[in-house]
Amino acid sequence: MAVTIDARGLACPEPVIMAKNAIEKNKEIIVLVDNDMAVENIRRLALKMACGFSVTEKEGGIRNIALVRTGSIDEVRGGGGASAREDELSCAVAAGTKATGPLVVVLADNHMGRGDDVLGDILIRGFVHTLLQLQPRPDKIICYNSGVKLAVKDSAVLDDLQELAKEGADILVCGTCVNYFELGDQIAAGHISNMYDIAETMAGAGRLLRP
Amino acid sequence: MEEQRYVVFLFPSVSYALKAEKILKAAGIVHKLIPVPRHISSDCGVCLRITEAKEQDVAGALRGKVAWDKVVLL
Repeated sequence: MAVTIDARGLACPEPVIMAKNAIEKNKEIIVLVDNDMAVENIRRLALKMACGFSVTEKEGGIRNIALVRTGSIDEVRGGGGASAREDELSCAVAAGTKATGPLVVVLADNHMGRGDDVLGDILIRGFVHTLLQLQPRPDKIICYNSGVKLAVKDSAVLDDLQELAKEGADILVCGTCVNYFELGDQIAAGHISNMYDIAETMAGAGRLLRP
Repeated sequence: MEEQRYVVFLFPSVSYALKAEKILKAAGIVHKLIPVPRHISSDCGVCLRITEAKEQDVAGALRGKVAWDKVVLL
């Protein structure tokens, strides 16, 4: 019979610590939590401690997590002994990544920083190129104001933006801005978007990166 | 498809890299100004990336106009 741990209403890292203590003493446990961060942390705990993991969603946003230990207690202790601190650290990580929403990059200018436009041009080109090496990659990229010039045919970062799009990034190019700069026939990356989508995307971002 | 091989030209400073870029643009040589890859140390943070096949063309275009530190295969 599985032991039930009620971790509802508790803040990170409390749920994952309770789960860890319980699975060290029991072969099967059920953990009740009410937030995605706790689910993610316990999912990682299960991976680390070689436990079977399954989660079912109950009414009122409650998640019912079942953990079943597959290894012996010694293995569990050996494998998870030093991990309590890691679990605590993962609170911040989980809060910053998928638990809260997509990574959105805002290209509001075709330069990076203020002070010198020649330098700003070099920097933005380096920045966009470097986005390809980010882990995780940006989920969405928004271009507005002179940032739309980065998405035109003869842009120095066009190949980088196209590559990002190919790898799954959704690139929103401000239609008003394209119209204002009269670049309608020159946009070569992303798709024309509007203020509703732009505002919604920014509001729904887990993290917003603005060079 | 065979993976494209690139080399980077490293310069003593940003202004050298910019000058070199202007020359390559004028000469119609395809290139890309990129941040210096992490594993290569350089005081100047940017370098010019070109395909390996274009290395001699680029060296020829820059020679006598802009000095470069070295060329590194990526």
